[in-house]
Amino acid sequence: MEKELTSKESLELITQMITKAKKTAGGDGGFQMLLWGWAISICNFGHYILTKLDFDAPYVVWLGLIPVIGISIWHGVTKSKKTGVKTHLDSVLSQLWIMIFVGIVIVLSFMSNLNMYQNPIILILASIGIFTTGAMVKVNLIKFGGIFLMAAALFSFFLPITEQYLVAGIAIVIGYLVPGYSLKRG
Amino acid sequence: MSPFSPLDPLLHSQLRLAVMSLLIGVDEAEFTFLKEQTQSTAGNLSVQLDKLEKAGYIEITKSFRGKRPLTTCKITQKGVTAFESYVENLKKYIE
Repeated sequence: MEKELTSKESLELITQMITKAKKTAGGDGGFQMLLWGWAISICNFGHYILTKLDFDAPYVVWLGLIPVIGISIWHGVTKSKKTGVKTHLDSVLSQLWIMIFVGIVIVLSFMSNLNMYQNPIILILASIGIFTTGAMVKVNLIKFGGIFLMAAALFSFFLPITEQYLVAGIAIVIGYLVPGYSLKRG
Repeated sequence: MSPFSPLDPLLHSQLRLAVMSLLIGVDEAEFTFLKEQTQSTAGNLSVQLDKLEKAGYIEITKSFRGKRPLTTCKITQKGVTAFESYVENLKKYIE
């Protein structure tokens, strides 16, 4: 591969390699957004339906998130091993979402102090994460998802607690799944 | 200073330039990633990486992932400056 390069060939090579590196590191095709989007929306709808059916412990649906956490971590770790490349963008995004996850866990731990109004707060945290992700990867549809989640959070504060689960489910479908599928399509 | 400064001979080689272009946009990259993307042989790539490291353009870290050896490469500030001035010079040649 040692040959004399012309100036034009050099520039073409530089552009080609920069594009290759970008493509390899360019996110995970929306996998995490789709995984969490489906999991959280199903849990919200499940919680809402079980409450309406007078089920004693509608919150059991949230136990379904335990394997999702495992899948999410496993996928993140194997993806970085498989690509063989680390970027600042990937690192910032994963740190952002780890902090949002920690924030959500704290909110859930103090649900009773919040008079069970945790759903709108979780939507606000998710909204910040989605909007910032959209801004960093420069995809407007993801930013729109973040704005929609923020609007849903505001709306939720005016609703009874049970209905908040329904709104959160719908908000996650639009805020996570719509941009997630758009990322997957490429 | 003449508008046509000589191009850095260390970067004006296909494989070394390809490696530097891959590394410029990332924090670090593994040897296998560089080998795949440049479609080079392990032997040739090792030689060229060694030259870049000796010039202070990249840092090479050798570690283990499980039982397998892992080589990761990272561009240094000196490497970034050299790459940028190479591109600037290249533009002058094309203009």
